[in-house]
Amino acid sequence: MTPDADRVPSADEPLDDTDFGLLDELRELFGAVDPMPADLPERIKFSLALRDLEVEVARLAEEDRLAVAARGAEQSRTITFDSDSLTIMIRVDADRDETVRVDGWLAPPQRREIEMKTTAGSLTAVSDEQGRFAFPRVPRGTAQLIVHPAGPGAEDARSVVTPALVL
Amino acid sequence: MDDPRPVRVRATQPDRGARLASLLTAARAGSEDALGQIVTELSPLLWQVARSAGLSSGDAEDVLQTVWMRLIKHLDRIHDATALTGWMVTTTKREAWRVRATARRQLPADQDLLADVPDEGPGSEEQVILDDQRRALWAAIGQLSRRCQELLRIIAFTPRPDYAAVAAALGMPVGSIGPTRGRCLAKLRALLDGGPAGSPAGSPS
Repeated sequence: MTPDADRVPSADEPLDDTDFGLLDELRELFGAVDPMPADLPERIKFSLALRDLEVEVARLAEEDRLAVAARGAEQSRTITFDSDSLTIMIRVDADRDETVRVDGWLAPPQRREIEMKTTAGSLTAVSDEQGRFAFPRVPRGTAQLIVHPAGPGAEDARSVVTPALVL
Repeated sequence: MDDPRPVRVRATQPDRGARLASLLTAARAGSEDALGQIVTELSPLLWQVARSAGLSSGDAEDVLQTVWMRLIKHLDRIHDATALTGWMVTTTKREAWRVRATARRQLPADQDLLADVPDEGPGSEEQVILDDQRRALWAAIGQLSRRCQELLRIIAFTPRPDYAAVAAALGMPVGSIGPTRGRCLAKLRALLDGGPAGSPAGSPS
């Protein structure tokens, strides 16, 4: 490479080795100042393990973190997920031990089987007619909610899954 | 004027496209492992796409998960690796804008792309250490338009054969025949070459 001080690099030229070198440096630079969390790909793969199900993917619609001042570092979060057929709202309360309590509501209200998939296995609950459900003790860590189909003959026979969360 | 920046060309780069193509074929045939490798391969790129759209780290994580889950449903319709990268970038960007619109009230009205990352390397409380060369690069990047910053940040993480598709997905085509340098990269080079060597105007400290 022979850099020429008088020549301004033109936008219309093909990319050359200096450009590729610069892009490599930029990748290292942004990789250093704003790195992707190292465990994110593993959490994504955890969610993708459900790929064989006929699923509807719920999207995170809203998240609020409320620090419960009176109880020190304990936190309560409410998270809302939206899918085409269902809104899932959950409240996560940190417990004293290594578990969290999750209270949830489905809208529109309906009775559904709900699975909480965790790295330690799955927990199940059934929502009541008002759409309420609860998982009193969920191990901390990565978890994912799956709302199973309403049953044979139901209008919507698909499961609704949320992205994996860290509880 | 001598160019002080060593050029590091990676022999592995051109192979990334071919590797991704074979992983895609295997993933479409149902290989869980191949899909996992695609996740490992493309997530750093998608992270930069989500973050450069102004998302918080937490929102960026959610967006990536959502986008990957959506890919599963579209896998049958994506036939080559370049289309895959382009689709993932476009979908991530769209989803990032959607989430950002939802969270807008929590963000400053005109959040700067680089506002939440340290603009000074050594001496800041962040453990990111930038040598002089990188600081010069960082300072030069900061002088580009927001759109150029975003484009270069994303292109830098893009497998080389997919530059053109990704730039097009970002609304900045880089040439109809082959990828050309484009005005953003040309501007960056001019900034780095010009000015007092190694310390362009606006360089921190």
